[in-house]
Amino acid sequence: MKVYHWILTVLLVVTLPSVVAAHRVNLFGYVENGRVVLDAYFVDGTKAKGALVEVFERGTDKRLLQGRTDDNGSFSFRPPAPVDLRIVLTASMGHRAEYTITREELLGGSGVSNEGVQGGETVSEPSRREVYSLGEQEIEKVVERVVRRELGPVKSILLKIQEAHTRPSVRDVLGGVGYILGLMGVAMYFKRRK
Amino acid sequence: MHISEGILSGAVLASGALLTAGGCAIGLKKMTNERIPEVAVLSSAFFVASLIHVPLGPASVHLIMNGLVGVVLGWMAFPSILVALLLQALLFQYGGITVLGVNTFNMAMPAVLSYYLFNFLVRRGNRAVTYLAAFLAGMTGVGGAAVLLAVSLVTTGEEFTSVAGVVVITHLPVMVLEGVITAFSVAFLKKVRPEILEVGR
Repeated sequence: MKVYHWILTVLLVVTLPSVVAAHRVNLFGYVENGRVVLDAYFVDGTKAKGALVEVFERGTDKRLLQGRTDDNGSFSFRPPAPVDLRIVLTASMGHRAEYTITREELLGGSGVSNEGVQGGETVSEPSRREVYSLGEQEIEKVVERVVRRELGPVKSILLKIQEAHTRPSVRDVLGGVGYILGLMGVAMYFKRRK
Repeated sequence: MHISEGILSGAVLASGALLTAGGCAIGLKKMTNERIPEVAVLSSAFFVASLIHVPLGPASVHLIMNGLVGVVLGWMAFPSILVALLLQALLFQYGGITVLGVNTFNMAMPAVLSYYLFNFLVRRGNRAVTYLAAFLAGMTGVGGAAVLLAVSLVTTGEEFTSVAGVVVITHLPVMVLEGVITAFSVAFLKKVRPEILEVGR
């Protein structure tokens, strides 16, 4: 039995520092300036270039548009309608990923028609308008611009966290090896009882 | 090497699952109590190997190690690889549960092939023959898996020659690398534990 332990130990020591990579494609997206921006890359960080992007309306599965990622593995488009979007990415060699962007995210990013949501607010508080010397729309624009600028770094941090989250961690690897050893024990136990 | 969910048609998924079930049945029949540890150790090796990334060329490729698993285990490579792929699908989302049959067959069948082609030479050959046969076993594992991957993707409408070309070319460096790793691993095993090369029978 000793030699198995030995082989296992060597394998673990050799592989742990490089537990960052393997072949699976990831797709992430966010809404910016009314456009949906997509980012596609493999688990080791390589950009997925020229991968097919298809955008469907979630629920009806009607295809709204399609395109290919550029050399940076990104793709952006203006959503044709404020609906839940299901985005499917197909990369080479049988790799595929999906990402969903909800209607709320699209409306939050502005740029898409959104009368129904904001119209109600202005009607309910008409007196407020007189307090400001600037028009409400101008204030809204300024605030939007500042918030967008301030949130820029936060967005990239979130993307990085999301990216790190999809990488296999040391814990996953050890867990997997543990499962295999456990299965071995179970198999040996039942075979011996016969 | 791992085909994702939602790419292949139901018929392909079903035939992959059937073929894998058959391979596993043969493998489990051969797997006596004394052979279980060998199967488990090679399963762990295969499970971990996919995480070793090889930064060669523009493509992103990883080790597979099915040749090593196969040349040692023979038909028992099927249950061994099935367990490892199941855990990779659950823990890392590589491949997927519905594609498990196809992915297992694509990697385990070439593994069995390298057993029948090279195990005898590895066991009986002198030092040089052992190294060479194990090297070729490693290459056969990856090369065979690449061809089967291309065959699976043809059913999605991609043209065989172009997919096969891309798949084989991107995996050429891995084939060589795996050949070398398999050669050294097998030679080492033969020196310290020659009886492990007999478990596949």
